[in-house]
Amino acid sequence: MPNLNTDSVKERTFDAIVIGSGISGGWAAKEFTEKGLKTLVLERGRDVKHVVDYPTTNLYPYELEHRGEVPLAIREAAPIVNRCYAFREDAMHFFVKDKEHPYIQDKPFDWIRGYQVGGKSLLWARQTQRWSDFDFEGPARDGFAVDWPIRYKDIAPWYSYVEQFAGISGNRDGLGELPDGDFLPAYPLNAVEDYFKGVLSEKFTGRHVISARCAHLSKPNAIHIKQGRVQCQNRILCQRGCPFGGYFSSNATTIPWAMKTGNLTLRPFSVAHSILYDEQKGKAIGVKVIDTNTKEEIDYFAKVIFVNAAALNTNLILLNSKSNRFPNGLGNDNGLLGKYVAFHNYSARISAEYDGLKEFKTDGRNPAGGGYIPRFRNVFKQETNFLRGYAAGFSAYRSTERDTAQVGDALKNQLLNPTLGPWRVGSHMMGETIPKAESYVALAADKKDDWGIPQLKIAIDYDDNDAKMKADYIEQLTEMFTEAGFTNIKPNTASQAPGLDIHEMGGVRMGNDPKTSLLNKWNQLHLCPNVFVTDGACMTSTSTQNPSLTYMAFTARSVDYAISELNKQNL
Amino acid sequence: MKRRLVIKNLLIIAGGIAILPSCSEKPGTASIQLVNLDVNADQENLLAEIAETIIPHTNGPGAKDLKLHLFVLKMVDDCHSAEDQERFIHGLNNINKFAQTKLNRSFQDASVAQRAQLLQTIENAKDTDQNIRSFYSITKNRTIQGFLNSKYVMTDLKQYELVPGRYNGYFHVKQATKAS
Repeated sequence: MPNLNTDSVKERTFDAIVIGSGISGGWAAKEFTEKGLKTLVLERGRDVKHVVDYPTTNLYPYELEHRGEVPLAIREAAPIVNRCYAFREDAMHFFVKDKEHPYIQDKPFDWIRGYQVGGKSLLWARQTQRWSDFDFEGPARDGFAVDWPIRYKDIAPWYSYVEQFAGISGNRDGLGELPDGDFLPAYPLNAVEDYFKGVLSEKFTGRHVISARCAHLSKPNAIHIKQGRVQCQNRILCQRGCPFGGYFSSNATTIPWAMKTGNLTLRPFSVAHSILYDEQKGKAIGVKVIDTNTKEEIDYFAKVIFVNAAALNTNLILLNSKSNRFPNGLGNDNGLLGKYVAFHNYSARISAEYDGLKEFKTDGRNPAGGGYIPRFRNVFKQETNFLRGYAAGFSAYRSTERDTAQVGDALKNQLLNPTLGPWRVGSHMMGETIPKAESYVALAADKKDDWGIPQLKIAIDYDDNDAKMKADYIEQLTEMFTEAGFTNIKPNTASQAPGLDIHEMGGVRMGNDPKTSLLNKWNQLHLCPNVFVTDGACMTSTSTQNPSLTYMAFTARSVDYAISELNKQNL
Repeated sequence: MKRRLVIKNLLIIAGGIAILPSCSEKPGTASIQLVNLDVNADQENLLAEIAETIIPHTNGPGAKDLKLHLFVLKMVDDCHSAEDQERFIHGLNNINKFAQTKLNRSFQDASVAQRAQLLQTIENAKDTDQNIRSFYSITKNRTIQGFLNSKYVMTDLKQYELVPGRYNGYFHVKQATKAS
């Protein structure tokens, strides 16, 4: 219960509260504290301190009890998270297991979560491509969702701002559909990735393979050294947490940076129950928190609140922030809160072999993962029977072969002396999905979690547009692979539930009109302007790019705006 | 996991006390803690000989030196389905019967060449008993995995780098002495 003791209230009052310490919450913490604001960061999970709380980071494969494999009992008890590619023995301690935090699937949804300081920024795939106006103008041009209230020029300087600090490697490729940024040197394409790039530019129009842009320090600048990070060492064991700080995470970067200012209070084990709304003042005054260890309810107060709990939990907190003024959730007069949730369609892949360029192999490892094919469908105008399009990953590696048909000396000799096989290539689609009213999240009527907070009910699905786009991806990639002389081309269209892409977005979308959106162009709730949402929940549409870089840019931009509004006494 | 182990230990202790007086001839238990598999010392030794046949000691260590049979047991115990575990144990128990029919002697009494020949028979003959085939395929795959992921191969033979610190996408094969 709220403690009325004034000293205690003072101790629980900050300039800003940030809910969540993941990739966007960490940025909010850094920006606020750096500019002198006393900031409370609430994290529902445990603390994970850079390096010291990465227990597996320096283990050799033979030092992992099951050589990386997750034991069956754990897999069977957690079938949802087990479907995530990074849920392996070396990183499983950073994932929420299914039974720990149940939710209701009205439709199948693999909700992959990381409840700890740093959130999923420890675990992300580190791909960082900018959006362009072909993305921001999509909903208006193609007649879905609502128009984005911003354009590329509004966010471009903030992309640069976050890129410089986070450290993004990439080439300046000069593509209108994928704007260049402030990059560290790119990780180069390998022989076959380069070859495929050449094939596309020769035989196709508007199709490119670029070095994937990623949040790795290929060549750190002074600012990165100042953060205590050094050059990425090409380990590709990122999901364990990196002792070099080679990739960007809240843990390695924004949180320690904020901590050094002396203005950060980090409170782990603190679930945000709801945002407190004051009817007289007509604004939010704080956050009701439940201590997950003691189950004690504690209210914290601040002038401005940033909700960065990760897309779906941000929806949950706002839906659960009920008051007389907002009986259906904070800022939700139009009833759209929780609706128009979308994701990325990753449900098609294709693999093949290439018999050429056998004089080469790769040496070391590429943290960028290889090549990236920016969207080439419907970019400049509508040209297919589906809306929007897909980006694609593309990578190649030189296979090694060992004949294991025998036993004894012969087998041992094969194992110790593998021979080089053909190059193997692979691609996966990253399709834009269309946000729809019927894809939504809502509070469960009757089921609560351990803290008395309603569980989240999720109803998100693919549609006909996704099916057509998926078929087109397979068709186009097959054609491109065939043109390149790749053989043994194998499409894999095995479906996966939404959520496994870990790119769920929307529910608290931005827009110009309070009647059809929740947030304005500054990521402020139209109806409660001292509450900002800058994580995936704010997304009006999804585009095809991995979204984290855009969340970072939105967050830095919104904090800058919030501080100027605070200074003008407007919040 | 830990709690399960504790409970298991308690059960073992309790069970040990209960059967101690009447069970003096029971062969010893496996040398590692197993949760799902019931394997005695004889079975463990047999598995060790089979793994050693798959990857023998030559001028470098073999399966027994690297305790790969224990790795096989650990993985089957923790990572395989109950169905796999059952087939594995059945197959392990039937290996000697199979050796008797093919070689007229037990696996352990056979020569190194005969042992290898027996395993090769299982490898090649699709009509061998399903339990034996399952047992053999699990054991072989896990032995190979354990070998390739051993400190000996990864670190001593430098086939794995924890910290490469580089990437070259155009590495000339001629430069390479090894393919890995």
